[in-house]
Amino acid sequence: MSNRLTEFKEMLNSWKLKEIVLMSLLGVVFAVIYLMFYFFGMGLTNVLTPFGLAPFGYEIIFGIWFIVSIVAAYIIRKPGAALVSETIAATVQVLLGSPAGPRLIISGIIQGLGAEVAFAATRWKNYTLSVLVLAGVSAAVFSFVWGWFISGFAALSPGLVVAMFIVRCLSGALLAGLLGKYVSDQLANTGVLRGYALGKERQNKREKKSA
Amino acid sequence: MLSSVNPSVKAMTILIPGVLLAFMFDIFTPLAYLIFTVAMTFILSDIPVKRYLAIFSPFIIVALGFSWMTMLYTSDRFAGGEIVFSFLWFDITEGAIITAVSLGIRSLCIVALSLMFVLTTDSTKFMLSLMQQAKLPPKLTFGILAGYRFLPTFRHEFEVLRQAHRIRGVGRAKGIRGRIRQFRRYSIPLMANAIRKAERVAIAMESKGFTGSTGRTHYHEMKVGRKDWMFFSAFVTAFFAVVFASYLFGYLNIFGYQF
Amino acid sequence: MKRNQRKDDIQPLVDVSSFSFGFEEKEAPVLNDLSFNIQRGETVLLMGPSGSGKSTLALCLNRLYPAAVEGWTKGTIRFKGSDTASYRDGELNQQIGVVFQDPESQFCMITVENELAFTLENLHTPRGEMDGRMEEVLEATGMTEYRYRNIHELSGGEKQKIALASVLLLNPDLLILDEPTANLDPASRKMFIDLISRLKEDWNMSVLVIEHQLDDWVEQTDRVLAVNSEGRLFLEGAPDSVFYDRFQELKAEGIHLPKVVKTAVENGIPGRPLSEADLVSGRVPDPAASEHKSPAMPGSSGTILSLNQVAFSRKKKSVLKDVSLEIRQGEFLAIAGENGAGKSTLLQLMAGLLKPSSGSRTFLDKAFEKWDEKDLRRQLGFVFQNPEHQFITDTVYDEITFGMKLNGAGEPVMEQRAKELMTKFHLSGKKYSNPFSLSGGQKRRLSVASMLDDTPELLLFDEPTFGQDARTTDELMKIISSLQQSGTAVVFVTHDMDLVDRYCERVCVISSGTIAFSGSPDKLWNRPDLVAGARLRLPFRARIQQAVKGEKPHAVVR
Ligand SMILES: Nc1ncnc2c1ncn2[C@@H]1O[C@H](COP(=O)(O)OP(=O)(O)OP(=O)(O)O)[C@@H](O)[C@H]1O
Ligand SMILES: Nc1ncnc2c1ncn2[C@@H]1O[C@H](COP(=O)(O)OP(=O)(O)OP(=O)(O)O)[C@@H](O)[C@H]1O
Ligand SMILES: [Mg+2]
Ligand SMILES: [Mg+2]
Repeated sequence: MSNRLTEFKEMLNSWKLKEIVLMSLLGVVFAVIYLMFYFFGMGLTNVLTPFGLAPFGYEIIFGIWFIVSIVAAYIIRKPGAALVSETIAATVQVLLGSPAGPRLIISGIIQGLGAEVAFAATRWKNYTLSVLVLAGVSAAVFSFVWGWFISGFAALSPGLVVAMFIVRCLSGALLAGLLGKYVSDQLANTGVLRGYALGKERQNKREKKSA
Repeated sequence: MLSSVNPSVKAMTILIPGVLLAFMFDIFTPLAYLIFTVAMTFILSDIPVKRYLAIFSPFIIVALGFSWMTMLYTSDRFAGGEIVFSFLWFDITEGAIITAVSLGIRSLCIVALSLMFVLTTDSTKFMLSLMQQAKLPPKLTFGILAGYRFLPTFRHEFEVLRQAHRIRGVGRAKGIRGRIRQFRRYSIPLMANAIRKAERVAIAMESKGFTGSTGRTHYHEMKVGRKDWMFFSAFVTAFFAVVFASYLFGYLNIFGYQF
Repeated sequence: MKRNQRKDDIQPLVDVSSFSFGFEEKEAPVLNDLSFNIQRGETVLLMGPSGSGKSTLALCLNRLYPAAVEGWTKGTIRFKGSDTASYRDGELNQQIGVVFQDPESQFCMITVENELAFTLENLHTPRGEMDGRMEEVLEATGMTEYRYRNIHELSGGEKQKIALASVLLLNPDLLILDEPTANLDPASRKMFIDLISRLKEDWNMSVLVIEHQLDDWVEQTDRVLAVNSEGRLFLEGAPDSVFYDRFQELKAEGIHLPKVVKTAVENGIPGRPLSEADLVSGRVPDPAASEHKSPAMPGSSGTILSLNQVAFSRKKKSVLKDVSLEIRQGEFLAIAGENGAGKSTLLQLMAGLLKPSSGSRTFLDKAFEKWDEKDLRRQLGFVFQNPEHQFITDTVYDEITFGMKLNGAGEPVMEQRAKELMTKFHLSGKKYSNPFSLSGGQKRRLSVASMLDDTPELLLFDEPTFGQDARTTDELMKIISSLQQSGTAVVFVTHDMDLVDRYCERVCVISSGTIAFSGSPDKLWNRPDLVAGARLRLPFRARIQQAVKGEKPHAVVR
């Protein structure tokens, strides 16, 4: 346990203040978007209810709730970025008044861990599209397991659960992995990420090209 | 009274029943605790009933939808008992109904717990108490707080950006497609500006001697006192009392196993 | 020479030797081989043309740069004898306080109170003492009433005062002020400068002031440093020798000279006066003749914009109560008033960016509500007080050509026009830079340039010249005047009474939510009650004139 704690402290020390502030800022921005999607999902659910497809209302858009971990990890490229940013986003949602309450923080940690695992598997070195998509899927898997426990999927028929699982993974791949990369690249185009890993990578590429 | 409970303690308190409820698949346990939570919310705070209902009622519809779906697709383990009615090609059993209603009420119970937290907690105080009680490193908490500071300014930033676009002759959006285009045109610059400011705030924090060391004093001191522990024990005890009562009455069902 | 003698008994507080700094490896350095020092208790004035690297130097001195921008450095900076690189995180920052140039980018918290508390917490101030310290600095800066306000809702000048208050809490050994008065009203500016002079003595600090408008600072300055546009230190010395011996050199670099010095040199007044009192006792022949130019009066005719009993409130707080104003074709109108009086608000109402809570507005005989947004913007240009609010693209070039593109101009035309504008506004070489990475003055010029792609009927400028050196101020005003000559009406908000005196036919003073005065500048200068009430100050010319005539010399000179 204390080992973990020192590891956590080391990780924190390797982070610059500006990276933490950026992560937190992303957390805040996406928390607002997350909350909007929560209500959007609520509407979707209500539309789908008469067809008996209510849970798919959330499953289809579930990927959006992992996007910040992909964006933060892709921009900052340091161990912990995915986990911490997702946790922050969850915390901010609680502060903003999410109906899921403090329990959402745990959900955030688990989703963040899911994404983090994918990056850890590449030793935080590879941030290609496939890894980002994988991270989205991995977050989906983690969140689904947690959801199975916390939302009582145990009571649902296995066929439905499998269908929900597949939809969630797809959503994670697209709405988190793919969209996350797109958003980050758009941001990098504006030049504001110069001081972060993604911006530097861009600059190096440009310099190589011009050389 | 609720708003003066230490936010970290309050969050912990709510988390315990929030997680443990996930084990319960009968109707009595979540229903009893839901009643307890709502009652306590009104007794311990002065939230207007109207406002509370306005926030709470949409979730009843969501819970109904969720219950309805659960009823149709209950797994075999939970779908015991007689068939009560049939709908299209679905046969709805007694077990399925009980499980579905239980899940619906459970989700409402979570909402009630969350509302109790959200409606009575100041966000900055929550952050400060996370730092002071949960011993999160200041580098992290103040980093977060600095990011959080942008929240109230987003509206303002959006307004400024819109003014800039107007001044530069980009007209206001009309219709849904225009709105979507406008969203695209604004969202990236809005985020880019925020990132730029975040970077400057980090510089500003360092320029004011912020080091991230733990030995700092606190202007707003968050304390944990007797009242907080009383609140904590009341809610946790109540939860176990409900579970015990449920057991005595023979309702208790944990993950499909009747006790 | 003098330095060597002193070195034994007193070590300099800051010692910079052969220091260079650059943002990019390949480009020319921004700071070029600088060597100078700052002694304890000394006030040093740093000047230089806009974009010469002054703000960059400030950030290098407390070592926020190069880390924050991934730049490179050469040479060393020592603070109290040790290399700044060897200080622990934060240690240096607690001893060197900086008030940044951009008042918006130096706050970490939402409310004034929490902002001040943040600094105190960093210093490990015991909780019991915090209240008292906060009150002390708020009192010192005259901001006591603002303690519970949200920072992002303050006016430009109010923000600058809060920024100073929070830095004073550090009780620093070295206080760096980067154009701290650029957004202050004239009376506050004077008070601010006097405040610094007092604080310096009470708290025993050294002060490094970066300023374009030197006037009131000169008296308390011990030494002057000047950098040129290549970022090299080209002169250093006591104020009188620098200003009088190197007068032409400074002028050639486009640096503002103290008006006292300018007047003395131009009129051949002996004795090297540095203060207005000295100048007056040196007997100025007739300053009016040398300085004052009567503003041109083109035949103004029809009304183009009119406000009728306009009122405006923010968060239930009434900002403007009852403003009626008419702007005539081709006129040159200045708006003045104290910080927070509502000048920017009024300008935004005139631009149709805000809606009045009551009253009516017409532009070119058509109510604002009836205008089509696109047509309106072609006839009406606006420049925000904060230049960054103007920017909506990612490069200087895009920013300048944005309006032309919208109007469907061809690439060669835009290229040509952009080149002209960039040369005119000293922005060549910055074509592909991000607008946000420019220096304060460059940002200001770009935001003005972005409005000059067309010739509208009315141009509204919110403090267009703040943060500019002498050359660019002159050039900006020339550009604005020539627009006016060609028939465009110009309204500008300013705190610079000398500009009002020199260029405007009419000045409106905003005070207590209404227009307290509207008329020619000369009439205003003859209303001391009004001038004082709206926290203005007479322009230099009028101050000297009155002092020479012996009219209340003390009140005026002090
Ligand atoms: N973050 C940055 N990245 C790249 N270039 C920069 C950055 N900040 C400043 N510069 C450039 O460095 C030069 C010096 O800028 P600086 O802000 O130090 O000028 P300054 O002397 O303070 O000017 P002013 O009087 O206008 O405030 C300018 O040409 C500016 O464009
Ligand atoms: N967004 C806002 N929300 C609430 N109050 C505001 C906002 N912007 C300005 N104010 C307040 O409105 C008043 C007028 O502000 P305004 O910016 O018009 O002043 P100003 O005359 O331009 O001052 P300055 O010379 O300092 O720029 C001030 O008291 C200010 O605190
Ligand atoms: Mg500067
Ligand atoms: Mg203003």
